[in-house]
Amino acid sequence: MKEISHNFLLKQYKLTNELPINHNYLPQQFQDSEEVIDEIRKLVVRGDFTLGSAVNEFEAEFKKISNTRYAIGVGSGTDALFLSLKALGIKEGDEVITTPYTFYATIGAIVTAGAIPKFVDIGSDYNIDPDLIEEAITSNTKAIVPVHWSGLICDMDSIRDIADRHNLSIVEDACHAINAKRNDKTAGSIGDTACFSMHPLKNLNVWGDGGIIVTNNKELHDKLVLLRNHGLRGRDICDVFAYNSRLDTLQAIVGNHYIKKIDHITDMRIKNAHFYDKELSDISQIEIPSRSPEVKQVFHLYCIRVSERDDLQKYLINNGIDAKVHYPIPMHLQPAAKDFGYSQGDFPHTEKLCKEVLSLPVHEFITEEQMNFTVQKIKEFYS
Amino acid sequence: MKIPFVNPGLQYKGLREEILSRFDRISLTGNYVLGNEVEEFERNFADFCGTAFAIGVGNGSDALTFSLLGLGVKPGDEVITAPNSFVASAWTIANIGAKPVFVDVCEDFNLNPRLIQEAITPKTKAIMPVHLTGRVADMEMINKIAEDYNLLVIEDAAQAVGASYKSKKSGSFGDAGCFSLHPLKNLHVHGDGGIITTNNEDLYNRALKMRNHGLKNRNECEFWGWNSRLDEIQASIANLKLSYLDKWNDRFLELANYYIKELSNHIEVPSIKEFEKPVFHRFIIQHNNRDDLKFFLEEKGVMTAVNYPIPLHLHEASSHYGYKIGDFPMAEKQANKILSLPIYPELENSQAKYVVECVKEFLKV
Repeated sequence: MKEISHNFLLKQYKLTNELPINHNYLPQQFQDSEEVIDEIRKLVVRGDFTLGSAVNEFEAEFKKISNTRYAIGVGSGTDALFLSLKALGIKEGDEVITTPYTFYATIGAIVTAGAIPKFVDIGSDYNIDPDLIEEAITSNTKAIVPVHWSGLICDMDSIRDIADRHNLSIVEDACHAINAKRNDKTAGSIGDTACFSMHPLKNLNVWGDGGIIVTNNKELHDKLVLLRNHGLRGRDICDVFAYNSRLDTLQAIVGNHYIKKIDHITDMRIKNAHFYDKELSDISQIEIPSRSPEVKQVFHLYCIRVSERDDLQKYLINNGIDAKVHYPIPMHLQPAAKDFGYSQGDFPHTEKLCKEVLSLPVHEFITEEQMNFTVQKIKEFYS
Repeated sequence: MKIPFVNPGLQYKGLREEILSRFDRISLTGNYVLGNEVEEFERNFADFCGTAFAIGVGNGSDALTFSLLGLGVKPGDEVITAPNSFVASAWTIANIGAKPVFVDVCEDFNLNPRLIQEAITPKTKAIMPVHLTGRVADMEMINKIAEDYNLLVIEDAAQAVGASYKSKKSGSFGDAGCFSLHPLKNLHVHGDGGIITTNNEDLYNRALKMRNHGLKNRNECEFWGWNSRLDEIQASIANLKLSYLDKWNDRFLELANYYIKELSNHIEVPSIKEFEKPVFHRFIIQHNNRDDLKFFLEEKGVMTAVNYPIPLHLHEASSHYGYKIGDFPMAEKQANKILSLPIYPELENSQAKYVVECVKEFLKV
């Protein structure tokens, strides 16, 4: 094979994994993994690698924490979105409303399902602004994909209201929002489906790619079970054209282990975020989003607006702090979006946020000492 | 004697310490997605198949999807393929909006090249031969037809890792070769996995992005894509197992030759051509009373399978294409007669002997 190193992630791992205050907590998490390895030993001898018993167990636990009737394990958060759209009958030429301030997968899932994404700008909470949704609706609109950015559930009551008035489906992109709540309601309780990722850096993670869909709709559940596994009703009967997108049993075992700890993980992230909130609140160059009491934001990311963002990020990295930008280029200005016909200025709130947003490490293994150091370095930068 | 149809756990027992130590090492690095192990496996696998490039993906179905789309097959195009494969082959064609056009197979279960030409229309864009049971289709003729009609060739090599035809390995004949690393395959990981081989640098560069959200780098998305990546942990297992694959494939072939020697006078068995080296992912015998034979063997503790009882053109999902019973007589005849016997490297000689004895007992020979 020709020697071309194609993998920008490798370079990225090299650059950032060595920083002592890191977004990546996996090496620490793995220190305490004997219980998981024991289960994996049993799995390999049992041999049910695809859709095995651990997947059923994980689905059962996950629907409990989501308070939904069904959960369906799939290959990734991206596939969870894609399969949900397919199960809802989204097809070529349909329009799907979503936010331009998201990870690429949201748009990838819409486009690969055959639909056209229609962007709507965000509000001050970094999530899609429900007040702007209706003007984006056309006769081709079929669904809304709200994204619960950083683990903050969108204003779902308003979005449901709009969807009902216009007969639209809702697929919640809850990839950041495991265990999150708004008015005591979880992601998935209002949308037709909600889609979660268990990518290694998510609050509830596995050791590779994995995703899960929750729904209260039996018909959707039955379709999704077919769609993730080649459309097979039994071993030999195939009802529909479908896909291969399964949560590996091995990864479900990892998920089963960490789902027991999800309340602790969530509490730690919230505690760390509140620590930052308090310590950073008196820095005039920093704007912390307003926190609302009816919301349980689970802080997959701790995002704030900062002035001189790029310089501050460099300064923090030079001091061993893995400050990240999620993400500097909004979706409507990506090279991939050129055919959608958007231009600079179309979504001013998103564009401004992309220039100012910065994420600080907030996971459960960050210590108060590390956070104090981070705060001190930020203050130093601005002094 | 109880003989399971498959038994991946046995292979693991032999490799347990090596797998667990890799697992431990990878897990401690904290890089679980697209790290060094994937890159190393891609390099090793491309070398193994004799291609310039390989791209690890989430599963064999996605390998096919990315190859079709990456090589430019579009909605409305037609793709010629076999009607006797696993559903993933034809369904990936349908899922991208193209139409699977079936062509009947030969005695060896592979696409009959003599029937391809009459299935070609102005809409035909590609041929997708399936190297079923671990035997490479007649790639010389298929490539010749593809050249004459300017068609792409995408090998569905999911069952044929390491199989060769005139000393060339599966996955190195077409514009792309698509492999599955599913737990039941000759080279497998401990969950879903797949890999594409190609000599086409454009496809290579495109597939690398297709599998990872269309990303050029962390912040720039060149086109809207998918998430379909081979996990690091799985790639590490694949790297380890690849070093044993030739040995295992030799054992598949040894067992197949044993079955052929013992059974060929009494029942229909595959006949190996002198210029091919099959890897017998499946060893299939054929009998008119297949269901009785299957039941008889089960009673004796010998588990078997039918790969596959319903040809693709007769599934509910393809009813709108208008195919009917009788369209592909060879595939349909085989579907009623085929039975897969247990075959895996860990199957012991005494077990294979027992299988043979049971088959002979049924045949009263």
